[in-house]
Amino acid sequence: MSDTLIGKRLPMMDGPDKVTGQHVFGADFALPGMLWGRVLRSPLPHARLLSVDTSRADRLPGVYAVVTGDSMDFPKYSVAGQKLLDDQVLATDKVHYVGDEIAAVAATDADTAEEALGLISVEYEELPAVFDPVEAMNPGAPLVHEEFGTNIAVTMDFERGNLIKGFLEAYAVVEDEFTTPMVHQGYLEPQAGVAAWHGDRLTVWISMQTPELARITYANGLGITPDRIRVIQMPMGGAFGGKLEYKMHMIAAVLAKFAGKPVKIVNTRREDFMAGTPRVPMRIRMRVGAKKDGTLVAKETHIIAGNGAYTNYGPGIMLSAAHRHDNLYRLDNIHTRAQLVWTNMAGTGCFRGFGNPQSHFAFESALDMLAVELAMDPAELRLKNSTQTGDLTAHGWVIGSCGLSDCVRESTRIAGWAEKWPNRVTGDTGTREVAAADGRFARGIGIACCLHVSGNRTFLPYFDGASAFIRINEQGRVLVQVGETDLGQGSRTVFAQMAAEELGIPVEWVHIATVDTDISPHGLGTFGDRATTLGGNAVRKAAQAAREKLLAWSAQAMMSKEGAQPAAASAAGGRSLRMVEPTRRIRKEDLKIKDGVIYLPEDPDMRMTVQEAVCQYSYDHAGSTLNAEGDFVVPGVSMVHPETKYGNISCAYPFVAQVAEVEVDRLTGEVKVLSVSAAHDLGRTINPLLAEGQVQGALAQGLGFATTEQMVTQGGRVTSDTFRRYHMPRITDMPSIRTVFVESDDPVGPYGAKGLAEPALTPTAPAIANAVYHAVGVRIRDLPITADKVLMALETKEKLGEARRR
Amino acid sequence: MRVDIDAVVNGRNHRLSVVPSHSLLQVLREDLGLTGVKNGCEEGDCGACVVLLNGEPVNSCLVLAVEVDGCEVTTIEGLSHDGELSHVQQAFAQVGAVQCGYCTPGMVLATQALLTRNPDPTADDVKAALVGHLCRCTGYVKIVEAVQLAAEFQRSEGVTMHE
Repeated sequence: MSDTLIGKRLPMMDGPDKVTGQHVFGADFALPGMLWGRVLRSPLPHARLLSVDTSRADRLPGVYAVVTGDSMDFPKYSVAGQKLLDDQVLATDKVHYVGDEIAAVAATDADTAEEALGLISVEYEELPAVFDPVEAMNPGAPLVHEEFGTNIAVTMDFERGNLIKGFLEAYAVVEDEFTTPMVHQGYLEPQAGVAAWHGDRLTVWISMQTPELARITYANGLGITPDRIRVIQMPMGGAFGGKLEYKMHMIAAVLAKFAGKPVKIVNTRREDFMAGTPRVPMRIRMRVGAKKDGTLVAKETHIIAGNGAYTNYGPGIMLSAAHRHDNLYRLDNIHTRAQLVWTNMAGTGCFRGFGNPQSHFAFESALDMLAVELAMDPAELRLKNSTQTGDLTAHGWVIGSCGLSDCVRESTRIAGWAEKWPNRVTGDTGTREVAAADGRFARGIGIACCLHVSGNRTFLPYFDGASAFIRINEQGRVLVQVGETDLGQGSRTVFAQMAAEELGIPVEWVHIATVDTDISPHGLGTFGDRATTLGGNAVRKAAQAAREKLLAWSAQAMMSKEGAQPAAASAAGGRSLRMVEPTRRIRKEDLKIKDGVIYLPEDPDMRMTVQEAVCQYSYDHAGSTLNAEGDFVVPGVSMVHPETKYGNISCAYPFVAQVAEVEVDRLTGEVKVLSVSAAHDLGRTINPLLAEGQVQGALAQGLGFATTEQMVTQGGRVTSDTFRRYHMPRITDMPSIRTVFVESDDPVGPYGAKGLAEPALTPTAPAIANAVYHAVGVRIRDLPITADKVLMALETKEKLGEARRR
Repeated sequence: MRVDIDAVVNGRNHRLSVVPSHSLLQVLREDLGLTGVKNGCEEGDCGACVVLLNGEPVNSCLVLAVEVDGCEVTTIEGLSHDGELSHVQQAFAQVGAVQCGYCTPGMVLATQALLTRNPDPTADDVKAALVGHLCRCTGYVKIVEAVQLAAEFQRSEGVTMHE
């Protein structure tokens, strides 16, 4: 079909709303009579709460409510599906990090609420604190949560094949330690929410990727049943994993309950940095072995991950870091041990990539080291080992489609790899002396790959998949409800394209609703690259079901004799219904829909518009809309084994290869990223305009992760708590970006489509690190790759060289 | 205590009674309900709250409301006329320079000001004009493209943009 909507460069449908400022985000939302809430946060990283005196704050005019951990019984809870319950809405006995929520105030305006915070006196008994996960594992380290008797929250240990045998087969083995810092999602809209009670039911209007998970979590945190909570999702001003369950929403709910009025809370930017859910920092030790021809034979990994003070999605994230990258190449002998450790830092959580950027930085750097040892082109090394369509991986993943080899070929082709990566290998040991010109600036090129999931069953116990409702009104306008939210990436546009494609109507007729847990299907929301693949399949199935119903009705209507169905005929104006002989059978299968017109291909006169058909349908059903639903139960996917972590966790796996070119200033150590060439196997491109945007945006985040972003802390306090001190890439920092989409046509994804947005940032950092090595022969193992680290490494390298010459 | 000021906001005269410590951002959002002006950091680092003050882009979080007495303020709400998108708005929506849309109002207004001064900006001109604006979604590629397309729209019409 040449006029298909699938693959069309369609601008985002809510674009006009956004460019005119009419889009009402969570932080913009207000209710009549609403109060403003503010939160009192701990200035200490670890302390016992001796007393919290709110009497002066209570007396301040304009204050409606002051709440503390004693105001009600706050049960221990964690995020949805997480069994380790270590969190509370407001602190009771102890505070566990700088930013921990102690009390909150609701007042007529934000100034009064802020003033009231200053009137609350808290007495602390300061306790020794621990910030580094490795130190927190030492015997005798201060315990973040005494009740667990250890700071090690979760340990995973799994093995495949025979590690020792694998390493014995190796010709070359590399081993090193890599670290990645805490980084922030940096969404521009601060965390925000409005809460109101109607009787004993709570409604929250919140910027939320996962409204259904929020409902479950908030019920647990507040000690009420989920049916008493309604979550209305507001448009998000950026999320990137940072807008899953957030404690502030429950604090607003508690304040609203005590104040008897709706309450709104918006974080300041400093609060977002101090008390957000940043990326889980990791220390990854990795040993990888390969045969002389480059065949990977063994890999051993030890991960220590910083959980922070409270368990958020850390266990799922650590599992993702521990085992996803093992499926990128054919590799049979694996041992991995991973430990998630409590510290007195903010609880860490989801950020685009979900553990994968951390582990791929280690793995793809290690592979580059291996290529050096083997005197092999690193792109060739990857092609040699690449997972292929049809593979069953060591962890039990069934690879239904895999364009990784094509991604390597395409990214290197558009980057000019064959010219820019000249064969500089010298000597039998395979040690490469980087022979870049002796000038001040050296250029280098590096490659890295990654894979991801399209939804996954590793940490949520409920289900996977998605469902959608579709409603066509008497005007022919289509409303689709699906549980997967639009974070600004444009999933509503993509869903509308799919629904319109199936229904044969203009895309403008379709509206995709935001999620309301009282009305929408019980969807898990948007994370883990689930939206297009799972939500899309559900929307597609719902639209197909609606189409069936519409055509069955239309076939009936077309066969009806005039007068036999007066309501129908008059509703359609009676004009377009050229009634046929009763003997003539029209089956729904014979009918087609195009541009909103239902027609019989062999008889051009036999046609009616979609509006006419649904109008008749509605009138004949006492005003009902034409309703249908679709549920997509993911085939062949089951919950990962709790111990061995074996199992096919996702229905479709996207793959990526990126090539970065850098210029390193030997005098200052500065790294300038000149270009990134990105090849993405996204299965099928539903909307190239939006898909390019996902890659470009992710690359900017990957660039930040690689070179500039780090949450700097001092005594547990985040000091890089403004955009001036936390360096996200600006418009002047961007390299040139080339994008290629590899369409591997996944058998399960809708129209063949898989996830795209998350993995797009994963290989960026290792590609840049590898390019730095290619340029100047130093390997930075600790992100971000800042000038001081490069300079120091260059000096060390020079001294070593001098020592060798002497 | 409140102070009375007179300002023209989006072409309309307003007499506003403002708290002296409140920023222009607070007054536009909270008192006038112009939530198209976005609050991103309140420290002048992100550009989400940019409005035009007498035609020049300013971070409204860094301007006290009392300072705009007698001034003309244009917010994103004042940019489109008769429901028609401005050239800049049209270009941003068309080329995918908008994802979540939170940085967009500030970017669009700053672009408007740039094109008034410089109807044919190079990519470097665009970057210099927008360096104070953070966007976490797009990687800026399509934003540069949008600004240059808006310039083209404007030139092809042979008019300078309305304020």
